[in-house]
Amino acid sequence: VRARVVIVAALAAALAGCGGGDGGGKKDAAKPVITLGTKNFTEQYIVGELYKQTLEKSGFTVKLKSDIGSSEIIDQALTAGSLDMYPEYTGVLLSEIAGQRKRPATAPAAYEAAKRFEEERGFTMLRMTPFTNSNALGVKPAFARRNGLRTIADLKRLKGVVIGAPPEFQTRFEGAVGLRQVYGIRDMVVKPLPPADRYKTLDQGGVNVIAVFTTDGQLARGKYVVLKDPRNLFAFQNLAPVIRRDLVRKYGARLSGPIDRVSARLTTKAMQAMNAAVDLGGQKPAAVAARFLRSAR
Amino acid sequence: MAFVGGVMALLLGAAFVLLVMAVFGQRDAGRLALRSQEAITAGQELEKTVLSMDSGVRGYVASGRERFLDPWQSGLKTYPGQVRKLAGLVADEPEQQAQVRRIAEQADDYVNLWARPLVALARDRLSVARSVIATGTGRDRLDQIRSGFQTLFTQEHAVARMREQRAERGSSRGVAAGWGGLILVAVLAVGFAFYLRRSVVSPVLTVSEASRRLAEGDMSVRVPPVRDDELGDLARAFNTMADSLEVSQAELGERSRELERSNRELEQFASVTSHDLQAPLATISMYAQLLEQRHANDLNGGRQLVDGINAATVKARSLIRDLLEYSRAGRGDLLNEPVDIRAVVEEALEMLAAPVEQSGADVNVEELPVILGDPRKLRQVFLNLIGNALKFAETSPSVRVSAEVQGSTAIFAVTDNGIGMEPEHAERIFQPFHRLHSEDEYPGSGIGLAVCERIVEQHGGRIWAQSAPGEGSVFRFTLPVAGRRRLAATSFDGGAAG
Repeated sequence: VRARVVIVAALAAALAGCGGGDGGGKKDAAKPVITLGTKNFTEQYIVGELYKQTLEKSGFTVKLKSDIGSSEIIDQALTAGSLDMYPEYTGVLLSEIAGQRKRPATAPAAYEAAKRFEEERGFTMLRMTPFTNSNALGVKPAFARRNGLRTIADLKRLKGVVIGAPPEFQTRFEGAVGLRQVYGIRDMVVKPLPPADRYKTLDQGGVNVIAVFTTDGQLARGKYVVLKDPRNLFAFQNLAPVIRRDLVRKYGARLSGPIDRVSARLTTKAMQAMNAAVDLGGQKPAAVAARFLRSAR
Repeated sequence: MAFVGGVMALLLGAAFVLLVMAVFGQRDAGRLALRSQEAITAGQELEKTVLSMDSGVRGYVASGRERFLDPWQSGLKTYPGQVRKLAGLVADEPEQQAQVRRIAEQADDYVNLWARPLVALARDRLSVARSVIATGTGRDRLDQIRSGFQTLFTQEHAVARMREQRAERGSSRGVAAGWGGLILVAVLAVGFAFYLRRSVVSPVLTVSEASRRLAEGDMSVRVPPVRDDELGDLARAFNTMADSLEVSQAELGERSRELERSNRELEQFASVTSHDLQAPLATISMYAQLLEQRHANDLNGGRQLVDGINAATVKARSLIRDLLEYSRAGRGDLLNEPVDIRAVVEEALEMLAAPVEQSGADVNVEELPVILGDPRKLRQVFLNLIGNALKFAETSPSVRVSAEVQGSTAIFAVTDNGIGMEPEHAERIFQPFHRLHSEDEYPGSGIGLAVCERIVEQHGGRIWAQSAPGEGSVFRFTLPVAGRRRLAATSFDGGAAG
C-alpha cells in the first residue's frame, strides 16, 4: 500500500513538473521515481545495478529492490503495483507466468510471445539481451566421466539422482515436471537450495546434479559440465525488462533508449564475466555494473 | 553593604535558577525516560505485529486455510499506525529516527515485495507458493527486521541511560545549588541580624540609655550622631531636645534661686523691721505712761491725747507682734517627729480655756491621727482656727474638730456655726492683714489665717475654707501623714508633696 502511494505521489509530481511546459526550474525536485525489482541471485543483482545506474544518469530516481525472489513472487509484486519494472527471462515468463506449454522455436519468437503476454495486462517488455540464461543441469566432470553422462537423457540410467535446485524447480515445467514428462526421469530427489549455494553443495558432494544458468560465472572456467538438452526442455531465456506500459508511453525514448542500449551489450560472455567477478571475485554488483557501464564510453 | 547585598542577591538568584533548572531537567528527564520506554514498547508491538503477520502468512501457505490470514489482515491495518507512533516517539534522536525509517522500509518491503505477493500466489497456485516459501526471501527479510529492532532497542536503551545520567548530573547540581542557597540564606540571615544589631538596635539603645539619664537629671548627656540616616536623625533630635531642656532647666534654676533670695531678703526685712520697731515703740509707750503718771494733774484736756498715743502704740505693738509671728512661722527649723494631734488640740483648748468659758462654747473633738510634724507649730494652727471659730460667733459657738486619713494624707477640718462669709472671700482671708470686718466689730490683726497657711504649707500641706454667710464655716487643711519629705522641692502646692 505504502509503495503504491509513493509511486502515485511521484507520478503526480512528475506530471506536475512536465505538464506546465515551463517547469524547467522544478525538474530536479520532480525527478520521476522508478521502483526497480530484481530476483535474488547474482545475475539479477548485476542487471539491476546496470539498469539503476543507467536510469539515474538519465534523470530518474530509482528505488532498487533487489532480492525479491523467484518469478512467481516478483510477478505478484509487479502486478500488485509494488514494482514498476524488473528484468525477466523470456522462457520463464512464458512457462511459469503465462503458463504456456508451447515452446517457441527461436529466441525472438519467445520474446515476442512474452511481450505480447505482458502487453495484454498493461505491461510491456523493453529490448531483450543477446545472452540467454537458460536453465541447464550441471555436474562435476568426474561424475560425468564415471557415469558416462553427456545429455540430460543419460540421467535416466542413474539410480536415485539427487538434484540441487531452487525450490520452485520442484513445481516447474522447466524443472522436475519437465524432467519427468519430457525425459521420463522418475528416480530423482530434488533438494531445494538457495541459488548461491548450488555450486558449493555440488563441490561438497551434497548433490549429484545442480540446476544452473548458462550465464553462471562458475561455468566459464571448465570446472563443471553442462548436460546437453536434446529435447529442448529448457527454453530460450533471453533477459528483457518487464515494465509498466504507461511509463514507457509517458517517458518514451528517455526511458527505453538508455535501457535498450545497455541490454544490447549484454552478451553471454559479458554476463558470465560479470557474474564471475561477483560470485568468484567477491566484488560488489554495483561496482561491477559501474565498471561495465564506464567501459562502454 | 549595598554591594554585598547585591552580590548575595545575585548568588541567591543563581542558586534558585539552578535549582529550578534542575527540577525542570529532572521532570524532562522523567518524561524522556518514559518516552524511551514508550518507544521500546511501541517497537516491540510493531515487531510483534510483523512477526504475527509472517506466521499468519506462513500458516496460510502451509494450510491453505483462509482463517490463518487473520493476523496478516489485522497486521496490515495496524502496522502503519504503529510505525508512525514509533517514529513520533524517537523524533528527537536523529540516529533512532533513521533506524526507524530503515525498519519501516524493511517492513514495507516485507509486506509489498514478499508477503503480499506470496499470499496472492498462494491463492492462485498454493503448491507453487509452498515451493518458494522454503528458501524465499521472507525469512531473510524477517531476520533483517528483527536485527533492525534489536539495534533500535539497544540504541534506545543507551539513549535512556544517557538521559538518566544527564538528569542525575542535573539533579546533583540542583541539590548542590539548593544546599548552597540554603547556606547562603543562613549566612545572610546571621549577617542581617548582626547588621541590625550593630546599626539599628545599638544606636536605639544608646538613645534610650541617654533618655533615662536625662530623666534622672543628667542634662549634660548627649548621643553621638555618627550616621546619616533615620537613626542619625533620632540622635540629633535627642540632642536638640536635651540642649533645650538643659537651657530651660538652667533658666528655671536661676529664676527660682532669684525668687528664693528676694523672698529671704523680704522676710529678713520684715523680721528686722518689726524687731527693731519694737524698741522705739516700747520707748514711746513708756514715755506716754510716764507722762500720765507724773503730769496727770497738768494735762487737763491733754489727757485724751495721751490715751490716744497709748492706744496707738498698743495697736502698733500688737501689729508688730503679729508680723513677727508671721515671719517666724515661715522660718526656722521644722521639727519632724510623731505628733499626737489630739494632744495638740487639747493643749490649744487649754490655752483657750478663758474664751471658751466666756462664750459657753460647745467644743467637740473627734478621733484624730498621729502624724509626723512640728507639734508647736501645729498647735498654733489649731489655736488660730479654733480661736477664730469662737470669735466669729453670733450665739453660743459650736466647734467640731475632725480628721480623715486618705492614703498618705490626713485631712483635718474645723467646723463652726459662726457668721460665715461670702464664698468669694474664702481665698483672700488667708492673705496677711486681710480683714473682712472692722476691728471694732471683731478684734484681731488679720494675721492668724496667714500664719496657718504658712505652717501648713511648710509641712507640705494645703489649707482652704468653705463657707456661706450665716451658715458657719469649715476650714480644712491637709498634712502628709509621714511628714514633710526632706528632699522635696519647694512646695507650692502642699497636697501633692506626700
